[in-house]
Amino acid sequence: MIPFILTRLLRALITIALVVTFAFVVLRLSGDPATIILGPEAPPEAIEAFRKSWGLDQPVLVQYLQYFAAIFQGDLGMSMRDGRPAFELVVERIPATLALTLPALMLKLALGLPAGVYAALHQGTAFDRSVMVAAVFGFAIPSFVLALGLVLVFAVNLGWLPSGGRDTVWHAVLPIITLGAGGAAALARFTRSAMLEVLGRPYIRTASAKGLLWAVVVRGHALPNAAIPTVTLIGFLVGSLIAGAVVVESVFSWPGVGRLLVVAVANRDLAVVQCILLLVATTMVTSNLIVDFLYGALDPRLRQGARAAA
Amino acid sequence: MSIFDTSANPPIRARHILRWPDMPWYVTLATVWLLLVLAVALLADVITPHVFTAMDLNYRLVPPFQTLAHPLGTDELGRDVLSRLIVSIRVSLLIAFGATVISAVLGTTLGFLAAHFRGIVEQAVLMLADFQAALPFLILALSVLAFFGNSLPLLIGLMGLYGWERYARIARGLAISASAQGYATAITQLGAKPIRVYLRHILPNIASTLIVSMTLIFPEVILLESGLSFLGLGVQPPMTSLGNMVGYGREYITRASWIMLTPATLIVLTTLAVSLLGDWLRDKLDPTLD
Repeated sequence: MIPFILTRLLRALITIALVVTFAFVVLRLSGDPATIILGPEAPPEAIEAFRKSWGLDQPVLVQYLQYFAAIFQGDLGMSMRDGRPAFELVVERIPATLALTLPALMLKLALGLPAGVYAALHQGTAFDRSVMVAAVFGFAIPSFVLALGLVLVFAVNLGWLPSGGRDTVWHAVLPIITLGAGGAAALARFTRSAMLEVLGRPYIRTASAKGLLWAVVVRGHALPNAAIPTVTLIGFLVGSLIAGAVVVESVFSWPGVGRLLVVAVANRDLAVVQCILLLVATTMVTSNLIVDFLYGALDPRLRQGARAAA
Repeated sequence: MSIFDTSANPPIRARHILRWPDMPWYVTLATVWLLLVLAVALLADVITPHVFTAMDLNYRLVPPFQTLAHPLGTDELGRDVLSRLIVSIRVSLLIAFGATVISAVLGTTLGFLAAHFRGIVEQAVLMLADFQAALPFLILALSVLAFFGNSLPLLIGLMGLYGWERYARIARGLAISASAQGYATAITQLGAKPIRVYLRHILPNIASTLIVSMTLIFPEVILLESGLSFLGLGVQPPMTSLGNMVGYGREYITRASWIMLTPATLIVLTTLAVSLLGDWLRDKLDPTLD
């Protein structure tokens, strides 16, 4: 088990280093932030001073190493727009984003998992077919279209709910539904096919042939095995908690990380964009890592394999 | 029924699987819709009733089905919605097609390289795939686009990075198992260069799986492009795309919702059609794909 964990950890670290490198290369080399922030007509002395104070006058390799060093010291740079630490700016937006993405995740799990399992157990029924139809539509309707559709019906025509902002709890209803609905359909479809795959296996036939109650077969044999692929998808959903709401936050003017990213990108606020990129990648890599470890707990074959390899 | 009567069990001919009668009605409908959309995109120059940027200030915010001159209505600047829609279809499809082809070629090449060289090359390709998986593509695309400025070729190239890792994984896996089969070994023994083995012999054998993957990734590219354009960070005015139109129409959602609803409906129907077709093709051609 220990070599397994170490390999995974190493891979995770390399992935994060790659993301840092990518962020650095793309964001630092694609243009001159000094002219962008100060404008093309700014006096050369002002530009020079700006470049010096942000370390932009150093050779690229030095900037790169400094950047790596700074990150390991927890320094993610200052926002070029309002001069505050980028990390601080991003972190103070996280609660707002989580206020949308966490309930949306609950909604996805509460609707998607049971619907998928039930549909697989009753394959071919009307319920199963409607889950599949919902899943296909859930995929084909982009979140901004769903969001605007909900605004049109519930905010513009019926006037029941606000269409944007973050003043009351009611403001969160439409964004959460937008995020949750499509995800629930996708999760249901995935769970259904994972479950169907397991139900077709010989050990399920064996289990029912030896006289076990169907409920026992499902609970003891089918569900644990179908959980393995499903956990991967849930890990991905958890990993996108921070940045999974870029479009929806923009539609509903919700002051979260996603909205901050869009504004920072439009303003070329390098430090903020880098900080969000890193944060998103770290969340994703961490949750994938947890999934890998959960596999060890869920799947005895992996434990055995790891032990045999060790 | 004699054992010679094969009518109940017609022989399986992979090449003839795409016959009309086998299609469920909704796949037929999807195919017809796609052909229609494709025809519109190809004939865009001929069939647009107005120039898509032309303003007609006497006819601002005309609702659909009011005048013959503007059957789908006009927007705030009096521009014809139908004409803008037709041009948008062309632009969105062009980006989606271009990107899908780039991504398929890139991914397949990397997959073949990984399968051929193994070792470090394979590790590097897998590492890149890990990197891609660690970053939601929208975030990656957002930063690249805004920082490199914005042009149509760049947008197509960037979208072309979407999904390459899926082709690479498929191509690598299938090429490794194909190399172990007789035909690839035989050709190699006859003295064929690796590039010939991969392009002339292995590629045709795994093409159906790759094509199915393309139909599954294509709608995702449409959604991605329309999302970016909706945020104002994709296709830039005066150019227009379906996502752009929705983003613009959003400002008039209370007074003139048709500006937003027409392109939105088109996005949904087209994505729906491609994914229905892709799902059906996958079930027909390659049940092993997830």
